[in-house]
Amino acid sequence: MEQINRSVKPSPTNEIDFSLPEIQSFSLDNKLKVFFVQKNDLPILQLNMIVNAGSKFDPDDKKGLANLTSMLIDEGAGNYNALELSDEFDTLGSNFNVGASQDNIFLSLQTLKEYFERSLDLFSTVITKPHLNQTDFDREKRKVLIKILQLKDEPDQIADSAYEYLIFGKDNPYSSSTLGEEKSVNNISNEDIKLFYDLYFKLDNFALIVVGDSSINELKENLNLLLAKWQPKKTIDISINKTVRSKTQIFLIHKEGAVQSEIRIGHLSSERNEDDYYSKILLNNILGGQFSSRINLNLRENKGYTYGASSRFNYYKNGAHFIVSTSVGSENTGNAVKEIVNELHSIRKGAEQKELDFAKSSTIRRFPSNFETNKQIASNLTAKYIFSLPDDYFNNYIEKIRSISLEEVNQAAEKNIFPEESIILIVGDKNKVFSQLENLNLGEVKQINYP
Amino acid sequence: MEILNIDYEKYKLKNGLEVIFHKDDTLPLVSVNIWYKVGSANERKGKTGLAHLFEHMMFQGSENVPKEMHFRFIQEAGGTLNGSTTYDRTNYYEKVPSNFLELILWLESDRMGYLLPALTQEKLNNQKDVVSNERLERYDNQPYGLAWELIITHLFPEDHPYSWPTIGFMDDIKSYSLDNVRKFFETYYSPANASLVVAGSFDADQTRDLIEKYFGDIKDSHSFTQLKNSIPGLKESIYLEKKEDVQLERLHLAWHSDYAYGRDDAVLDVLSDILSGSKNSRLYKNLVFEKEIAQDVSVFQYSGKLTGSFIIIATAKPGIKSEQLKEEIFKELDNIKKNKITEKELTKSKNGIKSSFIYSLQNIDSIADQLNSYNYFLNEPNYFAKDLQRYENVNADLINSCIEKYLTKPYVELRILPSK
Repeated sequence: MEQINRSVKPSPTNEIDFSLPEIQSFSLDNKLKVFFVQKNDLPILQLNMIVNAGSKFDPDDKKGLANLTSMLIDEGAGNYNALELSDEFDTLGSNFNVGASQDNIFLSLQTLKEYFERSLDLFSTVITKPHLNQTDFDREKRKVLIKILQLKDEPDQIADSAYEYLIFGKDNPYSSSTLGEEKSVNNISNEDIKLFYDLYFKLDNFALIVVGDSSINELKENLNLLLAKWQPKKTIDISINKTVRSKTQIFLIHKEGAVQSEIRIGHLSSERNEDDYYSKILLNNILGGQFSSRINLNLRENKGYTYGASSRFNYYKNGAHFIVSTSVGSENTGNAVKEIVNELHSIRKGAEQKELDFAKSSTIRRFPSNFETNKQIASNLTAKYIFSLPDDYFNNYIEKIRSISLEEVNQAAEKNIFPEESIILIVGDKNKVFSQLENLNLGEVKQINYP
Repeated sequence: MEILNIDYEKYKLKNGLEVIFHKDDTLPLVSVNIWYKVGSANERKGKTGLAHLFEHMMFQGSENVPKEMHFRFIQEAGGTLNGSTTYDRTNYYEKVPSNFLELILWLESDRMGYLLPALTQEKLNNQKDVVSNERLERYDNQPYGLAWELIITHLFPEDHPYSWPTIGFMDDIKSYSLDNVRKFFETYYSPANASLVVAGSFDADQTRDLIEKYFGDIKDSHSFTQLKNSIPGLKESIYLEKKEDVQLERLHLAWHSDYAYGRDDAVLDVLSDILSGSKNSRLYKNLVFEKEIAQDVSVFQYSGKLTGSFIIIATAKPGIKSEQLKEEIFKELDNIKKNKITEKELTKSKNGIKSSFIYSLQNIDSIADQLNSYNYFLNEPNYFAKDLQRYENVNADLINSCIEKYLTKPYVELRILPSK
């Protein structure tokens, strides 16, 4: 038996051998783009469809249109009414979901291989022949309006959407939540849904992503058969006014009786696809992107203010922001804000080499586990599509991360973290937190109503 | 179903630690998953939440692992890690590139055998603060967040091990002493009270040696009596009402039901799916889709080692009262009793369940955790196919006998009402 010396940390054995799944791509006869990863270890398939039709396309007085369209799209299609359609998917044991984000409407399907053709048939029926009935519309609209009402109860959601409203400013489409507001949803008619569908579901800027147990020939045949009659038109896109940062402002949304405060601190940031993307990944890893980051260790493991605190760069197709999020006991609201702001100042003074080494090691070594499930692979391909990343993006990822120097990370901090041009937003009980916030001397504490 | 036949090897160390291997070389990853057979059910009143607090302390370093380094070492290796606590058990799990397996075995064994020398008052105070905030964030500051706590404290008899929430009551969380934590460790955290699963890509012979090396010298010190399972009953239904700052009224109904893997457990799972699992499920269709008196409805069978509960929750649309939801729910249960569920409904549910078994095989950590779960509840890690068979065996008559047996008995009703 080997003598054990517990004080010595074991070293890794030989380097692992990981090969990326191969991404194949082709176009259907009607030009629809398809990306495919063949994975035959289990008899299942994942299919994601990305429609360039998110809430950023909502007309100003009809915010919530894209979301409501996504809710309506599977309320009956082809020969099936809403309940029958749901039964069809359920009978196959297939999971079909639709959802809207600011940039896109996503449709996804998870199915056993034996039911792939039948599920795909249903899937294409949904996207090509949705009923968009008045009765279904009325019901789903009422559901959204009540959902909007319910959001008033959720302090974390209030904080997330009010934060985006504040940093993007009301003229930027990313400032609105996908759900919309009571007034704007009330403005939407079933006719609007049909127009939105006609406009955006018939364009050529869809992409279809398939991962799982099939072959490229089988897939081509199936898809061509089902989607052939669907002749997409030329795409459109919108231009979005750029907004700029301004001097730090502190906002408070009052929530009577709250026992915690939701805190959001951050600002607009540079968009995805830029040269410093990899530096920003490592920078955020050090600052607040994982458990052992500066912000979490300080607020949770050192001060005990919170169950967790984190930061991230949040990328949209035509915009981006940096955000620190946490929720803390009301009595620690002022202190927590102060610590976060200090951390933002401090990272601008530079990170240490050992922090960068850690960030690189964890990011590089974790890479293979991002390709475990069909869903994970499909969502990686989705990001690649949305942000128009190069074909060899995943192949070069590790090398790009490895090549980043400490100097580059420190430059990224100076160019991307702005404690003096931030929005500080608190959702909490003003009676407990107002004076704490005033005492921070970060400026006038503005109480706002939201939504 | 051959695909659900998960190969494994199981053995025991001299100190009682159970070890389960499952090899899968699809990816160069390995998952380590440990279950300690202790959960909040082993606590006593006045010290609730200790099992969960203890879970936090397990991440605070051990004799040879400085504070913060447990996380750091695993993250540096590209690994992910976490733990969780339920009524019945506490689990800890990591997934790392396979070449870092020994690191994980070192870390897990150090905290299994040598946690106490590194335990300090400072660490405890810090994690008491963290857990207090966890409670505030996940329960106290959430709309309807205290409903579960209210239900179980009334559904179960006082002193029943399931009558308090796993997170613990706030006063209790604040009251733990170092001594409480030490005693808890000494009583429950020993190799004979744990099982270790290694799943994924690894060499079995080498790993057996490594496990002997790291875990073999940990002494078995545990000394406690097993809790006995029993299905408590209510003499009569209990009505509760709570005013809260919420927009919509919400109704909760809770019955006693069967324990995990008991005869009726799977039947009740299928019933819950037939009631609320899809758009065309009985209650969703009736309350949400057609009558539009509810914004949402959910039904689930929540079962543990000792017993289970069957829960129905529905949120009323504005202007609708719980009373109406309740009437419709009971009417639907009566309707099923009279007319039985259809073959089509059964097929839908069973196919959904079958698919979800297969979908879950994509994830090595979920296989590892499931091996431990089957081993804990049934003493047979490879129970996947048999588990699915439990669902295949469900029929309309069994559903009806379960409605009769459980859902015609007294229950707890909780209404949360908007305070304004």
